[in-house]
Amino acid sequence: MEQILNILIADDNPSDRILLKAILSQFGHNVISAEDGQDAVDKFDPNTIQLVCLDVKMPRKDGWEAALEIQRAAGNVFVPIIFLSGVADPVALSNCLRIGGTDFISKPYNPALITAKLNAIVRLLVMQKTLEEQRDAMSLYNEQLVHDQNVAKVVYENITHSNCLKDPAISTVHYGTHTFNGDVILAAYKPNGGMHILLGDFTGHGLSAAIGALPLADIFFDWTKKGFLMRQIIPEINTRLKTILPANMFCSAAFVDIKVNNKSIEIWNGGLPDLLFFSQQSMAPQRFPSKNLPLGILHPDEFECQIDPITFIPGDRLVVFSDGVYEALDKSGVMFCHSILDPFYQGQVEANKALDWLVEQLTEQGVLENPHDDISCLSVCLDTNIGIESPERDMPISHHEAPADFSFEYVLNADSLRNTDPLPYVLQIITTVPGLSSFSSQIFMILSELYSNALEHGVLKLNSDKKSSSDGFSQYYEERERSLANLKEGYVKISVKVTSEGNSRVLVLYVEDSGSGFDYQHINFDMANSELLYNRGLALLDQLCHKLEFSKGGSAVTAYYHWQVGQD
Amino acid sequence: MVESSFNDKTKCLTIVINGRFDYSCHKSFKEAFVSVKKASAYEIDFSNVSYLDSSALGMLLLLRDHAGGEKASVILKKPNGAVLDILKIANFHRLFDIQE
Repeated sequence: MEQILNILIADDNPSDRILLKAILSQFGHNVISAEDGQDAVDKFDPNTIQLVCLDVKMPRKDGWEAALEIQRAAGNVFVPIIFLSGVADPVALSNCLRIGGTDFISKPYNPALITAKLNAIVRLLVMQKTLEEQRDAMSLYNEQLVHDQNVAKVVYENITHSNCLKDPAISTVHYGTHTFNGDVILAAYKPNGGMHILLGDFTGHGLSAAIGALPLADIFFDWTKKGFLMRQIIPEINTRLKTILPANMFCSAAFVDIKVNNKSIEIWNGGLPDLLFFSQQSMAPQRFPSKNLPLGILHPDEFECQIDPITFIPGDRLVVFSDGVYEALDKSGVMFCHSILDPFYQGQVEANKALDWLVEQLTEQGVLENPHDDISCLSVCLDTNIGIESPERDMPISHHEAPADFSFEYVLNADSLRNTDPLPYVLQIITTVPGLSSFSSQIFMILSELYSNALEHGVLKLNSDKKSSSDGFSQYYEERERSLANLKEGYVKISVKVTSEGNSRVLVLYVEDSGSGFDYQHINFDMANSELLYNRGLALLDQLCHKLEFSKGGSAVTAYYHWQVGQD
Repeated sequence: MVESSFNDKTKCLTIVINGRFDYSCHKSFKEAFVSVKKASAYEIDFSNVSYLDSSALGMLLLLRDHAGGEKASVILKKPNGAVLDILKIANFHRLFDIQE
C-alpha cells in the first residue's frame, strides 16, 4: 500500500527530531517539524496534515495537551496521532492511548518498527477515507430517497383522499410504520345514495406497498362514481392488480357496499380479519370471515366474489380492521387475537366505543410506540341517510342550461341480462343532459329501482316476500344469482326520453320486462311501515317521481321526472 | 432460517423454515427453490415456524408461480395454530394443500 502522507512531527530534542524526519522522508513522506507542543498546534492544519507524531514531554505544551487541541481542531476529520516516548512506563504509554492516541513509538527509534507502524496507519487512513466516502454517498442517497418519498406521498394522498372519509358516519384510525404505508382506507358516495368503503392492506410496508394503492384508488373512485356495483368493481381491481403487481405482492381487503334504499349492506372480505357487525339487537357482534383470496392473486377467469348480504337497522355498526391489529403482540408476547380481542369479540365492548377501545389497548400494550405493521381500523355507523344529503355532493345548479331533446331505447335479452349491468351506461347518457347531472343521484335511484324490479320480479320471477326475514334476505340474493346464471330467455327494455319546454324539463323512463306483470292496483305506497324489508322500492319511486304509471298488466312502468332550470 | 433438501427419487424438494417466516428469509427461501431445477413437488415444513407475515405469503405465491401456478404441487405441512389462522384468513387453502 503506497501512499505519500503529510506528517507533522513535534519533538523538543533537535537530534531526535532530525532523525525521525530523516526516517520518514526516506519513505517519501512530506514532513513538517515543530519544536514543541504549542508549535505543533500552531502548524497543524486538518486539511493538509494526515498524521501527527508528538513527543510526550515538551516545554510550553506537552504531547497530551497538544494532542487534545489538535483533535479539537481536526473536528470530524480523522487524524491519527502517534506518541513518541523515551520512557517505557506502561502507565504513561497507556495514557497516550487513553486520550485518543492511535499508537506510540518508543525511543530509540527502530526504522523497521516505524515502517510497520506507518503501514498500519496508512491502512487505517484508507479505510477511514472509504468509510467517509460511503457515509457521504449514503446521506446523499438518503436525502434523494426522502425527497422522492415526499413527492410520491403528495400524489398518493391526492388520489386516496379524494374520498368521503369525513362523513360523520365513519370513524377511522390509521398508524403507519413508515412515511408511507401499505394500508388504504377509501370511501366514496354512490350516485344513488349510500356508499362504497374499502379497507386494503398491501403486502409489505413503505413505498413498494403504497404503489399498488394508486390503481386501486383510481378504479374505486372512478367506477363508484359512474354507478358500477361492488360486484363489478372488485373483479376489475383484482384484474388490474394481478396485471401490474409482481407475483409476491397482493392486497388483502374488505369491500363494503352500503345500500340505503333497502337498509342492507354487502360485505366482501378477502384476506382481512373477521369484519364485525354490531347489531343493536344482540350483544355479541356477528363475524364475517374472509371467504375470498386477497386481490391481485387470482387470474381474472378464476376470480370469484363471495359476498355476504345483511340487513341493518339505523344505528347498527360495522367495524373493520387490518391484520396489524389482529396480529399485534401484547406485552407478554401473545398475539392480540388470542388475548386482548376476546372481550371485543364477545360483545363486552360497546360498539360505538370500539375504535377508542382498540386504540387504548394498542397504546397500553406499547404497540403504537413500535408498530411492526401498519394498523388501520374503520367503524361505520349505519344509517339510511348516508350519501343522501351530505353537503359535499350538492353541486351548484347552473343558471344557463341549454335545452335537450332526445330519446333512445335499450333492450337487453337473456345473454346481456346475465352479463351486463346497463345502469352505469344509461346513467352516463342521461347525465349528459345539461343540468341533469345535479340530480344524478335521484335519477340513478329511480333507474336502478325500475331495473331491479323488472329483472328480479319480472324476468326472474322472484318473490319479494322472501326478503321479510334476514335469513330469507340472503337466500333471496342467492336465488337471484342462481336464476340469473341459468337465464335462457326474457328481456328488459329501457326507453329514455328527455324533453324541454321553456324552463321545465321532463325525463321519461319507461321500463318493460318479459314477465307476467303483477297486481299494481293494490300497492301500498306507505313508507312509514319501515319494518318491512321489501316493497320499499315502489314507495320510494313514488316519492321521487312526479308520476308513476303502470301498464301492460304491471309488466311495464313509466316514471316521469320533472325539473326546472334556474330563472334569472 | 431456511434449510432445504431434495429427494432424487420422489423429485420432491423439502424446505424447512425455522423461527419467524418474514422478509428476512426472502433471499434464502427463493434460493432454496430456484436452485433446484428438477423438483416436481414441494413440501414446506412449517412445524418450527412461530410466525408468518404477509411478505411470507407473497413468497409462497412466488414458489407457486415457479412450480407451475395452477398445476403446482405445493404442500404446506404442520403449521401451528397462529400460522394456520393467517393462512386461512388469506384463503390460501384454496391455492395450497395444507396438511395439519
